[in-house]
Amino acid sequence: VALVVVLATRPTYGATEVWSPLLGQQAPSIHSVTLTGETYDLSQDRGRWVVLNFFASWCAPCQQEQADLVAFAYRHQAIGDAALVSVVFNDSNSAALAYQRQTGATWSTLSDPGSRIALAFGVRGQPETFLVSPSGRVVAHIDGAMSTAFLDAQLTRAEAAGS
Amino acid sequence: MSAVGVGRGRVKRPTRRALPWAVLVVVVAVSLVVGASGRSGRETNAQRSAAIDAHIKCPSCDGLSVADSSAAIAVAIRQDVAQRVRNGQSDADIEEYLVSRYGQGILLRPPTRGATSLVWVVPGIAVIGGLIGLGVFFWRRRRVESLDVAEADRLVVARALAESRAGGP
Repeated sequence: VALVVVLATRPTYGATEVWSPLLGQQAPSIHSVTLTGETYDLSQDRGRWVVLNFFASWCAPCQQEQADLVAFAYRHQAIGDAALVSVVFNDSNSAALAYQRQTGATWSTLSDPGSRIALAFGVRGQPETFLVSPSGRVVAHIDGAMSTAFLDAQLTRAEAAGS
Repeated sequence: MSAVGVGRGRVKRPTRRALPWAVLVVVVAVSLVVGASGRSGRETNAQRSAAIDAHIKCPSCDGLSVADSSAAIAVAIRQDVAQRVRNGQSDADIEEYLVSRYGQGILLRPPTRGATSLVWVVPGIAVIGGLIGLGVFFWRRRRVESLDVAEADRLVVARALAESRAGGP
């Protein structure tokens, strides 16, 4: 009974790996400003993995994965091997900032006026996530809400592949 | 006796029969050329952007172009296309950029290059093949109609016809 209760109350994640023409290619460059006013350049994270997450504060799957992203971000911030970077998509900056603060997301969250970054990465909706290797290549494109376990598995596989 | 019972006098002259077909072929060819030549005259940037938008699939919708969708990404693509048109990029450059981000599926109109060009070539080949087939069919039929009939056979047929008319109701 306990097992059934645990399984029934676990959040259901719908993350799937999807194809993108960018897979294996150098990630499009990003020069943007965070919601707190700092400049951000994707190249500044060369040498570590970057999890680039496109989200909206109102989107239910984004809310579903947020606690897992926070856990992932804090753990890997301590290790220093991966950084989480969020990009506001289909949302206002003010709503996105309030949401990030409320959920404990202290990593860089980028403003994306005109959805230029989203277009450069071929984003279709939210949440969508790209895993960028330390050398700056796109190695995974994930559609839907991710669990920490799913994201860790992606990272482990990419590291094993030597991306 | 020959199996063919058609008299030489009933066969129409080929040139007169071919005239309507020739007219039809000319009309179809002119229509295809006019239709394929597409937009004419000098377009404004807005017209060019709208024409491109109509052929770009909304990535988050089912079967809608970005021109017909209000989805966030469709709006973003429309703005991007308009900006690229203003910057002087060609239609092919703009489509190529979007394909490099979303794949070939972003185009509602299959490209005219590479393996996908078969989508355009095969129907043309099928039409030409069909026309050739029809031509061969009519040519062979005309050949059968134009066969020389022996005088003896002609007399037999004429006699039979006369007898049937005389003995008929």
